[in-house]
Amino acid sequence: MADAASTPPCVEVVDLHKRFGPLEVLRGVSTRVDRGSVVSIIGASGSGKSTLLRCINYLELPTSGEVRIDGEAVGFERRPDGQVRKRSAREIARFRQDLGMVFQQFNLWPHLTVLGNVVEAPLRVRGMPKREAMELGRACLARVQLSEKADEYPARLSGGQQQRVAIARALAMQPKVMLFDEATSALDPELTGEVLEVMRGLAADGTTMIVVTHEMAFAREVSDRAIYLHNGLIEEEGPPAQVFGDPKSDRCRQFLAKLLH
Amino acid sequence: MFSQNLREMLDLALFWEYRQILLAGLAFNFYVFAVSAVVAVSLGFLAALGRVNPLRPLRWLGAIHVETFRNAPDYVMLVWVHFVLPLLLSQMLGQRITFAPFVSAVIALGLVYSGYLAETFRTGIQAVPKGQIEAARACGMGGALIMRRIILPQAVRMMLPEAMNNFVSLFKATTIVSLITVPDLMYRVSMVTQQEMRPLPLYTGAAITYFLLIWGVAALARAGSERWRRKIWA
Ligand SMILES: Nc1ncnc2c1ncn2[C@@H]1O[C@H](COP(=O)(O)OP(=O)(O)OP(=O)(O)O)[C@@H](O)[C@H]1O
Ligand SMILES: [Mg+2]
Repeated sequence: MADAASTPPCVEVVDLHKRFGPLEVLRGVSTRVDRGSVVSIIGASGSGKSTLLRCINYLELPTSGEVRIDGEAVGFERRPDGQVRKRSAREIARFRQDLGMVFQQFNLWPHLTVLGNVVEAPLRVRGMPKREAMELGRACLARVQLSEKADEYPARLSGGQQQRVAIARALAMQPKVMLFDEATSALDPELTGEVLEVMRGLAADGTTMIVVTHEMAFAREVSDRAIYLHNGLIEEEGPPAQVFGDPKSDRCRQFLAKLLH
Repeated sequence: MFSQNLREMLDLALFWEYRQILLAGLAFNFYVFAVSAVVAVSLGFLAALGRVNPLRPLRWLGAIHVETFRNAPDYVMLVWVHFVLPLLLSQMLGQRITFAPFVSAVIALGLVYSGYLAETFRTGIQAVPKGQIEAARACGMGGALIMRRIILPQAVRMMLPEAMNNFVSLFKATTIVSLITVPDLMYRVSMVTQQEMRPLPLYTGAAITYFLLIWGVAALARAGSERWRRKIWA
């Protein structure tokens, strides 16, 4: 097959812009995430971290620019004849199946059991046979150490457990990449550990991950690359040792210093 | 004089004497209620879907539907549908059209209560947190699937008490269909009154019957729906 240089990255973001009315939240972001790598995104509140993640899976429509998954543009189709066609909502939903997302607020479905939450999309979206979906669902729950809670309803679980269910739900779609938007920010401090532990496990298993986080120690430890976002632009990007230890950008340095006090 | 009236008013033997005819009338209240409820739920659900739709023209259509019918008095709507609408249709289609009283009653009440129910449904639908819907979209679920699997199962429980109120109001409203000669309980009471010339016990009997019925059903419905709604998912 082709050499490594010519295989497209798992996720590629090209000159992404997003504006909300007069406010330009992303002002030209470009980056790439290789298969099996972990990229963390840090930055001040309002710098556009969530917006970037939400543009990657098209929960927000980018104003301009491109997102490519395995080399294929999510928002457009390039025909062989060179014509460019906007994709329909249905086609975009098809891409989302391959992008797992974990939200700050868990967003579990309260009327379904834990296992019900996990198998819902494999059953109804992928059309997987029930028995197979159940097996997969249980395997995903085992990965987040919640096998024994399969038949509980989410309201009965702690925040940390709920977030782990949310991770299992995303994993059950067997996505190409997992997107985490401050997965531990809504948790009590004593509950963040169990969620970070699960994420650490995923990273160790070679899961491709984009992680927006305020947990600097965790980001430094698990990422292959870190991105510091400032005002909708990538201000600093590189190996975690550089970004966290010896950033070139003054702003990044100040941001990190403020976190440490 | 006064106490004599009172005694006669409470002399419900006459009401009891005509019980079979009157009961058949009450059945008409139920028919009208049941069919109007089906019309109101169907149209109300469509209007609610319009009101929460991302497409602006559909939102407008939904809003117009709700505002038109929710603000039309039952009685005015009934008369308009029975006497005016057939004329309009006759003009448009170039042939004579009339509605049977039952049909007019069902159209009029169905439309009016579809306005109320649409708002009840919309409130329930919008009470489902946005985050849950985003999570569903993020899993690749489409709009129809999200409505069916994520929103409706929760919305139905949340809106049930209010929907019960709407249905109780609808049942009460069925008592005006006698005005366009649907042979319901009220209609038959006035028929019997013309024969017997004793309106007091007859109308009092009708009032008591309706009251007990509506009160009982409403209490049952309230208890049932509260219980179901409170049943947390645990
Ligand atoms: N739907 C929206 N409509 C209007 N403005 C928005 C919308 N979503 C985000 N914004 C604005 O975009 C900016 C960036 O928001 P974003 O949520 O991406 O920041 P963030 O880096 O994730 O911040 P935080 O650390 O607080 O989560 C903010 O100023 C926010 O108010
Ligand atoms: Mg954010």
